[in-house]
Amino acid sequence: MNQPTEPPNLPTTAPQPALPADAGLGAILDTLLKRPVVLIRALCDPRPSRHWLILALVALPAFALYGLLVGTFSGGSQLPAALVKVSAGGLVSALICFPSLYIFACLSGAEVSLRGTAGVLSAMLTLTGLLLLGFAPVAWVFSQSTDSVVFIGTLHLIFWFIATWFGLRLFGNMTKALGVSDRTHLKVWMGIFVLVCLQMTTALRPIIGTSPHWLPTEKKFFVAHWIENFAGAALPASAN
Amino acid sequence: MQPLRRLVILCRGDSERIAPWLDEHEPRWLLTCVLTIAVGCALYGGVVGLWRAPFQAASTAVKLPLLIFLTCGSNALLNGLFAQVLGSGLGFRQTSLAILMSFTIASLVLAALSPLAYFVCLNIPAQDDAASRTGHSLTLLCAVVFIAYAGVVANRRLLPLLRRCCTTPAAGQRVFWSWLASNLFLGAQLSWVLRPFFGLPGQEIRFLADDPLRGNFYEAVFHAFRQLLN
Repeated sequence: MNQPTEPPNLPTTAPQPALPADAGLGAILDTLLKRPVVLIRALCDPRPSRHWLILALVALPAFALYGLLVGTFSGGSQLPAALVKVSAGGLVSALICFPSLYIFACLSGAEVSLRGTAGVLSAMLTLTGLLLLGFAPVAWVFSQSTDSVVFIGTLHLIFWFIATWFGLRLFGNMTKALGVSDRTHLKVWMGIFVLVCLQMTTALRPIIGTSPHWLPTEKKFFVAHWIENFAGAALPASAN
Repeated sequence: MQPLRRLVILCRGDSERIAPWLDEHEPRWLLTCVLTIAVGCALYGGVVGLWRAPFQAASTAVKLPLLIFLTCGSNALLNGLFAQVLGSGLGFRQTSLAILMSFTIASLVLAALSPLAYFVCLNIPAQDDAASRTGHSLTLLCAVVFIAYAGVVANRRLLPLLRRCCTTPAAGQRVFWSWLASNLFLGAQLSWVLRPFFGLPGQEIRFLADDPLRGNFYEAVFHAFRQLLN
């Protein structure tokens, strides 16, 4: 006869300490990298904090530095141009997608304020920017070694995809932190954000190569632009 | 513990005893790893370059450890970030030390294979021989086999260590693959920048190529494949 037995003790994880409202830059970045759920809880907390502002102030220089590095491929006037375009591109993409993020988060059932949404978006941009900075030495080595716009463009895109993938994972943490079970709408938003960023690379061209114009004179879809660049890979680096 | 004793434990891959070393703040073990990499790789590089000329031996002895330090240094931030965002629980210092420990094992393997490489060097056609191309190919092939073996051994030791040190074994595995990918990707290009390591027969011996940053490893591989298919 089976005797009733006590259920085995399940492993318990220690509750993670909350991030103080007056946490400094180091603590915020450390939490972003190691305990993103804690940071998201702090960002979504209704009590006022300046975390999102600190994160945004880290994201912008990170994107700007990576932009400067992108500009080293062509050098000259492209150095400041790429710096401005990469940082502005990231910022504008985030601003364009911010309203939809807030609405989609609400549709997912997340109880998050507009400020909390801005905070998570800032955290996402910061993490992406930090990872892009991590890739910077690798990107610099390759940008000095090739004349191929297609090669270096593809490499930057790969780095951007990896960095953005890690950044977007924060929204998975957001659903975890806020106890949201339906992630569909946030996944749709992620797709929209990626598409906007990719189109931004074409809308702000040239970012890598050179051109007599600061901004393009012709409107183009990014896929068409890429196909043209791949087809004309043997041409000089002036079209991207 | 004596540094030599630690190196033996490191080679055995006793992750239970190795794991606490990552938390040490004393620079002694770090310096031991750096010194081992410098000596081990210099020894192997010197032997490999010896086939071509003494100057090639000296320059390869300098460039091989330099390649490892440049790869570790350039990827330090990226590997540290990967470790943290993938939930390993390791900090930047621990990450760099773990990678250096892995390269230390590879360097020890290469140093141990140096006498064998020297033996090969003595037994293949010399560079002023008519069959010097064969000699060059054999040196290259031998180096590829030895370095690949050292790399495999080093990574097989690193993986259990990461599984143990990280918050979960799965996180350790993810971090391991991300480090491997980033180090291989940059390492291949840096080896291209620091070429020549062997020196072609009949070609002038130089420390670096005329324009070392010109061209890249992956484009060269792509063009080689295209040429092969054409």
